[in-house]
Amino acid sequence: MSALLEVDSLSKRYPVTRRGLFRARQYSEIRAVHNVSFRIEAGETLGLVGESGCGKTTTARAILNLVEPSEGVVRFQGRDIVPLFKENDRTKVLQVRRSLQYVFQDPWLSLNPRWTIGETLKEPLRVHRPEAPETWGARVEELLRMVGLEPHHAWRYPHEFSGGQRQRVGIARALAIEPRLLILDEPVSSLDVSVRAQILNLLVELQDRLGLTYLYISHDLSSVRFISTHVAVMYLGKLVEIGQVDALFTRPRHHYTRALLSAIPMPQPGAANTRIVLQGEVPSALRRPSGCPFHPRCAAALPVCAEREPLLTAAAGDDHRMACHNPT
Amino acid sequence: MGTARYIARRLIFSACLILGVSVILFAMINAIGNPIEILLAERPGMTDEVIESVSRYYGLDGSVTDRYFTWLWAILRFDFGTSIIYNQPVSEMLVTYGLETLKIQIPAILIALVVSVLISVMAATRQYSRLDFGVIAGAMLGHSLPGFFIGILLILVFSYWLGILPSYGAYSTRNMLMNSTLIDGLWHMVLPVGMLVFFNTATLTLLMRSSLVEVLRQDFITAARASGLPERRVVFGHALRNAFIPVLTYLGILFGVMLGTAPVTETVFTWPGLGALYIMAIQQLDYPLIMGETMIITFMLVGATLLTDIAYVAIDPRIRLA
Repeated sequence: MSALLEVDSLSKRYPVTRRGLFRARQYSEIRAVHNVSFRIEAGETLGLVGESGCGKTTTARAILNLVEPSEGVVRFQGRDIVPLFKENDRTKVLQVRRSLQYVFQDPWLSLNPRWTIGETLKEPLRVHRPEAPETWGARVEELLRMVGLEPHHAWRYPHEFSGGQRQRVGIARALAIEPRLLILDEPVSSLDVSVRAQILNLLVELQDRLGLTYLYISHDLSSVRFISTHVAVMYLGKLVEIGQVDALFTRPRHHYTRALLSAIPMPQPGAANTRIVLQGEVPSALRRPSGCPFHPRCAAALPVCAEREPLLTAAAGDDHRMACHNPT
Repeated sequence: MGTARYIARRLIFSACLILGVSVILFAMINAIGNPIEILLAERPGMTDEVIESVSRYYGLDGSVTDRYFTWLWAILRFDFGTSIIYNQPVSEMLVTYGLETLKIQIPAILIALVVSVLISVMAATRQYSRLDFGVIAGAMLGHSLPGFFIGILLILVFSYWLGILPSYGAYSTRNMLMNSTLIDGLWHMVLPVGMLVFFNTATLTLLMRSSLVEVLRQDFITAARASGLPERRVVFGHALRNAFIPVLTYLGILFGVMLGTAPVTETVFTWPGLGALYIMAIQQLDYPLIMGETMIITFMLVGATLLTDIAYVAIDPRIRLA
């Protein structure tokens, strides 16, 4: 059976230009996303983790063509959707948009401040169900209940809500047209810790009830472990390790993953915590290190690491793969 | 409920503002000196008796406060007295000349608004393109050039070289164009309105473009795109309304700018409006006219600010709470 979403060698490069007197000249490029491949089966949750700026959001936005991918294939239900956006075939694009929806990181920015919640929730319906406007009102009510809000909230404006409530609205908007897959771009990282658990529970509950598939982006590893079935780790635009959540958390193979996992705060005070502290900073994406992008900071780097870029290969079974010449 | 109170508060504030202006205006005019002495005293054959009787005739013999309240009571009834130079009721003159000013200013603002929305949407949706840089450069230039320069340039090209548009006045004195007052009037409006449109468009475009660029970067715009909304509706439905707040503020200011620049516009095109009238009134020291016109300009400015404040509430639900 083919995966619900399959991403194959997805790349996004941004030209870096210097503006001359008359024309802009490209002298370099930033590889925000570099040859990223993964697949998500229906009903699974893939957690995509990595530091700020490693290309998580760009990957997600490239899947939805909110930024145009430079290369690569994005297969949804077996069909490559990148050309659909290029051809700009409206009916086919809408079909894809209907099945793939996005929940934004910052609920303060992702809702139009001039629109009531009802109007915001109606908008996807207006686009995708223009033939039945009489059903919109009932659907909005249903959506608000589904995410734990009240129907009368439809007449309120975003500024009248708390962050958690706004994020619920953001989720309701994404669910309005019954998508198959939700891309959750750090949906809880701008919320208070006390509210995070509520939203995460809501997401798990919705997934069970509606049979959703998630791509969950986060730098918060605890929440990733809670919600995901699979985890993918990114570093400098590149996928370094991917596998089932338990396997990856208990037995990470890539040195970067190990360092990342060791940074998770322990809930018990005084618990033994052997933290691996990485030296130096993440290199600028403008000056990508040769070979393995992680080698300048890697304790286990071999001479080959600076020369050849390791490819994503099977580590333990077909499910767990990593890109490292000298895995732990 | 909150909205009604907000408007009531603004109304009271506006009334106080107008009252304050009237006090300052009266005090300043009073400080210029006794008009009778300035206008008549130097003339030959003036006796004290004559001066005294003229003073009494114009009501200038009372104390400052008496005179202020008499005047205030009169202007509240829209009675600004009689112009010394033109010997007409000032209120009538203000209406006649005021309508001429609005006749070129209002269409100019409306046209500029439409044009600048279109231009800034084109530029903002293609940020950093050549078109965008061209628009910024053009708008900067238009904004920086003094209005009268554009006016003179327009007259040079369209009246002097091409000879197709009149360079002065609001109507032809003889031989109306196509024998129609309306067409002749519109024909005379083209150049002054054109100059104002040019100036207003430049400033509005600068504002609206940068405001749009900022809004278009926000997540709720991406959200609208992700839901499959056509780009045109993303821009006009979501972005434009959000980008409009700073522009609305400026529209209120523009009304003031309009009255401030009216003297220049109307002098360049010899347009019989409030601006030209103001200049003449000041040059000839026509007291009732100066005071009447200052008060009318105050009314208009305060009114425009009031309307802007109320429009905010309509356009931005968040301000209702404040």
